[in-house]
Amino acid sequence: MRVNDLVMGVVMALIGAITVWGSRNFPAMPRQEFGAGTFPTLIGGLLMLLGVLLALRAWKRGDLGFSWQGEFAASRVFLCIAAVILAVVGYLLLAPLLGFPVVAWLMTTLMIGWLSSGRWGLSVLVGGVATLLIWLAFVELLRVPLPLGVLERVVY
Amino acid sequence: MAELQQALMMVFSWEVLAVVLGASLFGLFIGAIPGLTATMATALLVPVTFFMDPLPAIAAIVSATAMAIVAGDIPGALLRIPGTPASAAYTEEAYQMGRQGRVGQALGVNLACSAVGGVIGVAILAFFAPLVAEFALQFTSDEYFWLALLGLSCAVLVSGSDPLKGAISMLLGLLVAMIGMDSVSGQMRFTFGLPELLSGISILPVLIGLFAVAELLRRLPEVGQRVIPTPPVAEKPFRGVGTLMWRYKGGMARSGVLGTLIGALPGAGADIASWISYALSRRLSRTPERYGTGHPEGLVAASSANNAALSGAYVPALVFGIPGDTITAIIIGVLMMKGITPGPDVFTTDAALVNAIFIVFLLANLLLLPLGLLAVRGSRHILSVPPAVLYPLILLFCIVGAFATNNSNFDVWIMLILGVIAFFLAENDFPIGPMILAVILGPVVESNFMRSMIKHSGDMTLLFERPIAAVLGVIAILVWVAIIATTVWPVRNKRRQSVQD
Repeated sequence: MRVNDLVMGVVMALIGAITVWGSRNFPAMPRQEFGAGTFPTLIGGLLMLLGVLLALRAWKRGDLGFSWQGEFAASRVFLCIAAVILAVVGYLLLAPLLGFPVVAWLMTTLMIGWLSSGRWGLSVLVGGVATLLIWLAFVELLRVPLPLGVLERVVY
Repeated sequence: MAELQQALMMVFSWEVLAVVLGASLFGLFIGAIPGLTATMATALLVPVTFFMDPLPAIAAIVSATAMAIVAGDIPGALLRIPGTPASAAYTEEAYQMGRQGRVGQALGVNLACSAVGGVIGVAILAFFAPLVAEFALQFTSDEYFWLALLGLSCAVLVSGSDPLKGAISMLLGLLVAMIGMDSVSGQMRFTFGLPELLSGISILPVLIGLFAVAELLRRLPEVGQRVIPTPPVAEKPFRGVGTLMWRYKGGMARSGVLGTLIGALPGAGADIASWISYALSRRLSRTPERYGTGHPEGLVAASSANNAALSGAYVPALVFGIPGDTITAIIIGVLMMKGITPGPDVFTTDAALVNAIFIVFLLANLLLLPLGLLAVRGSRHILSVPPAVLYPLILLFCIVGAFATNNSNFDVWIMLILGVIAFFLAENDFPIGPMILAVILGPVVESNFMRSMIKHSGDMTLLFERPIAAVLGVIAILVWVAIIATTVWPVRNKRRQSVQD
């Protein structure tokens, strides 16, 4: 998935400009011209400069605006990105309610089932075992407080 | 001597040995699977090492990476698919040897030369690191500022074909490092009113995002579209290997030393070491025309170089706290999480720990032979693990790993956002290495600069006052001249060419 360097350059220059603008009020050290704003301003300024250089270089080359490079169809790549984002965001929203065991099992089962084109028996089994192992390792052994959600009422 | 004894006792405890064995098997597995890199193995291990003492934590990372680099050779020789980028230089050579019925020998050469290269690297590391550390004890913030800047500059210079994109990637990393409370003045920066950002972005979710989630996004579309063929059986892996190693002993030793030096260079890691050693071995060979046809000479050179580079990278990491590659960037992050700041002082205050790290290195490189052999024998099973099952499990592990840093979902969000951004940047040829080095080195550059400015009352010319600082400063400036030259020259040449056409 390639975006024209012209666009990338403009985006980088914009990020640089926002950084410089956001650092304008950081105070200098007493009796110094340097302070908390020095580095952010420098980084922002350089980002603006290099962003503009990147954009100019692409403009001179006459690159295309957006092109698809790679051996897989754009739809497949976007679907995969969406699936990962959906899985993580879904976990973040649902785990505090339903608990880690339920959501992790559901997430891995759905993903394995989808990627293996419908081997649901395998995905339920692997998802369950993986969730159990991670729970044992992180919660029981390493004491990481993964959320239990509604299961808290069941367990305690 | 007492320190060495103490170090031996630290290493040969059940906990450390069990961790070394477990991490080695994990590294072999990840390295042998095409597409999963040694850096990814490290990023996935870090959440677990978070709960360990410093030595087992480092032992885990050292053994996992050494094994992953070697295991990367297995799918290269069997299927012509390099398991990690460090094997890419000689994949064709190893595969051609396989086609001549010598696949076992190719893998045997990989294993044995990796072990020899690794041991050369450890010897150089153990000999030179304390010497450099003694020298570095006199360093002040001036020298550290230039050193860290030099680290960043080299990372950009060696990051790839386009230094402009490397520099932008570095600046984005520096920007991430600026978030949170400024360590010198205490000023809050770019926290957007979020209390989670007050102490800055934790390094762990950044690592997992950049190296595991981004990699996963790149690999996921392949699932079900690309079928990995059944690999051939590697028979009698060590037959004739001794003779070959003896014949090319000069090249092997040269590559071991060269690999260590390249590894010590900030930003250059095992992959660059293996490419350069392969190219140099070809140039110095009496039979350069046989390279690429299944000739073991280049294989011997490059296999020893990439493992030597792993040890080399620890010289600047342990002595100055300046990472030599992405893996040592992670190690520095891990040490800092444990309250140990790498630097010359570590060699006096934690001498036993430093010696113990050297011993772990040696142990891991010696374990390469038996465990590597095990991986070669089990390669059919490892390569038959379906990615459709593996990738969702890695994603779940990423989520739990990011959460475990601060027991907070905020870090999982950071991991996801940075993972997607890193994937997008990598797709557009922005190298990710300079970004992670900048996240680690950003605070080092800034705090040392500020300390120097307070000391020198804001006079920047005094940064060149001390002789070593002046030399480092001049080198850093020269590196930037080289970066600008390599960016401008190709464009000018191309323009001149098009005018001539």
